[in-house]
Amino acid sequence: MNKRTILLADDDALLASLLNFRLEKAGYTVDHVLDGKEVKAYLSHSMPDIIVSDIMMPYFSGIELINHVRKELLSQTPIIIISSAGNEENVLSAFELGANDFISKPVSPSELLVRIARELNKATI
Amino acid sequence: MSKLKTKNLLSQLSDLEASLNGFSFEELNMEEAKALKNSFNRFKTQLNNRIYGADRIIEDDSSTIKTVSLPTVAQDNKLIAYVSHEIRTPLNGIIGFANLLREENLTAGQFKKVDAIQSASYNLMEIINEVLEYSKLTAGIEDFDSIDFNLHGLIKDVMFLCQTLIVDKSVTLTIDIAPNVPKILIGDPSKLSQIFLNLLGNAIKFVEKGQISLSVAVTEQKKGIHMLQFSIKDTGIGISSEQLGYVFESYKQAELDTFKKYGGSGLGLSIVKEIVEKQGGTISVTSKLGTGTTFKFLIPFRKGNIQNIPKNKPKPISTEKGRALLGGTKILVFEDNELNQHLISEQLNKWNCITYVTANPKEGLALLKTHKIDIVLMDLKMPEMSGFEISKSIRSLEDANLSQVPIIAFSADFTAQDQEQCYASGINDFLLKPYTLNELMIKLLKRKKERNLTQASLRLLQQETISTNEQQWETVDLNGLLEECYGEIEMLEELIRLFKQNIYEFIGAIKIAISNKNFEEIYQASHKIKAGLALMNTKGLKNLIVGMEKGAKNEELATIEQQFSQFLAQYPLKEVLIDKELEKLKKR
Repeated sequence: MNKRTILLADDDALLASLLNFRLEKAGYTVDHVLDGKEVKAYLSHSMPDIIVSDIMMPYFSGIELINHVRKELLSQTPIIIISSAGNEENVLSAFELGANDFISKPVSPSELLVRIARELNKATI
Repeated sequence: MSKLKTKNLLSQLSDLEASLNGFSFEELNMEEAKALKNSFNRFKTQLNNRIYGADRIIEDDSSTIKTVSLPTVAQDNKLIAYVSHEIRTPLNGIIGFANLLREENLTAGQFKKVDAIQSASYNLMEIINEVLEYSKLTAGIEDFDSIDFNLHGLIKDVMFLCQTLIVDKSVTLTIDIAPNVPKILIGDPSKLSQIFLNLLGNAIKFVEKGQISLSVAVTEQKKGIHMLQFSIKDTGIGISSEQLGYVFESYKQAELDTFKKYGGSGLGLSIVKEIVEKQGGTISVTSKLGTGTTFKFLIPFRKGNIQNIPKNKPKPISTEKGRALLGGTKILVFEDNELNQHLISEQLNKWNCITYVTANPKEGLALLKTHKIDIVLMDLKMPEMSGFEISKSIRSLEDANLSQVPIIAFSADFTAQDQEQCYASGINDFLLKPYTLNELMIKLLKRKKERNLTQASLRLLQQETISTNEQQWETVDLNGLLEECYGEIEMLEELIRLFKQNIYEFIGAIKIAISNKNFEEIYQASHKIKAGLALMNTKGLKNLIVGMEKGAKNEELATIEQQFSQFLAQYPLKEVLIDKELEKLKKR
């Protein structure tokens, strides 16, 4: 099977760097973007196998990202939202708009790997 | 000088008054709130009379008597010290009560107003402290420490603070310490930091773009004395040659418009000059308009020894621990100021102490005889009998159980003479107002420990000391994070680098957001930085950030500023600990 591609959207360079490292070690190809503008630009030319995005991002929030993918690009690519305590309402609207899963900060890389694998398995079945 | 400062003071007072007027005390319906307002108004009227009254007398003199002499420095200083004392005492009460008010169930609106009172009070306190310090320095009262300190560490701390001031400017800060400058010196580190912060702070104010450098060199070395030359050079707007002659003069300083534009109390450089000269040094300035300014000062230092530097700082003690240690302690307080009476009882009651407060010496002595008092707190400026006299009469009591009671004095100002008189009157210890709750508790604990300690509290105190020692060796645990990196130390190193970068960016963003009152930005930035702090296992810092986040949500600038300043104070230590931990993991 081809290497699966993950689009990782997070403006926190520290967390993204750790996740990037772990995801690549697990055999994924990771494309990391820092903000909403870059997400849009990326999605205009390619579609990853799964999207992992922070809910709070400059220019274009995680919520807007889900809307863009589901309503405008009409894609069912799995989306995992990274959120933190205090953002529960946003997580609910993320699910309503079509997010597949969420993981809360501080993100455990191992947990994220399990969640990614689960979403990808669902998607292939 | 007193006139200029007086104006400044009065405008601060008006600010404070404005916030008090905006405070709806009826809503609060609290006795203390009323006391606060009354006391404030009374003190303002008194102060107004005092200052303008004094000035008017001088003016009247000048119109009737031709040969009027200007007040001498000594008179000026005495007046300043007196007025400062008059202001500090009630201000201490105002700040203390505002602190207690914050812990009530306040509405968001009330909270904001308490914040306004607090921040106006703190501003006022800062100015008063500056005035007082200046007058003490010129009168030669201020004491200088002579302790061993690490010059490199001091400069690093100062530079860290300065870095946070320049993040929104394109200014580079450089340090150059000559290799023959001793690392450990003997002198007054806090005074030296004060000089640096003043001069560097000025440089930063006047440079938008360019360089600021701090260099240290040895110009002479004789009999173990190193004459150190410190230069602070900037590429700022410069000072014109006419103004250059006045920069160190407190009230002629530069021009008023510079004053208005760049703020400041105008005393900074004169304080710097006093501090340098009092340590046997000299200071000079050269400048060219449009090119920049260089301040150079020379101070003689002796070489110190690293072994003499104490390694740990006192650790804050929680209310719970305070209760466990002090609960049930019977404390007799001699205090005449009504506001401070309330304040001290509230503070002591928090720790479940049994408190008796009196302004009457006879009543106090009677209480001492009948109530098995553990500790006496003594205000030195009491109306009928001074604190010294009351203490003397306690010490002369026949019953040894009573006459040996520990006495802690507190006062809004304290001279070396007072200190001597304290010991002569049998006073064991003293506290300078405004004191922090921690200072009060430490003083009380120290005395209580000497007096009589139950087994249980002895154990707790031991734990306290042990954990303080542990804190000295406190580490940050990065094992978990290293595991997440599959043990790859380079990855961990990269993460730490990113972490530091994030923190610097965060500090910069918050500085700007605070000055713009951009609560949304403060919220966003605080929210973002939490993940990194969690990864690095720095819970204390994270809690401060959570506080800032809350403050941003409720739009409470004072809360944010308070939490942020604590963050700035604590972060450098954490960074050192993280670096240490990394080194340790690397060696393994």
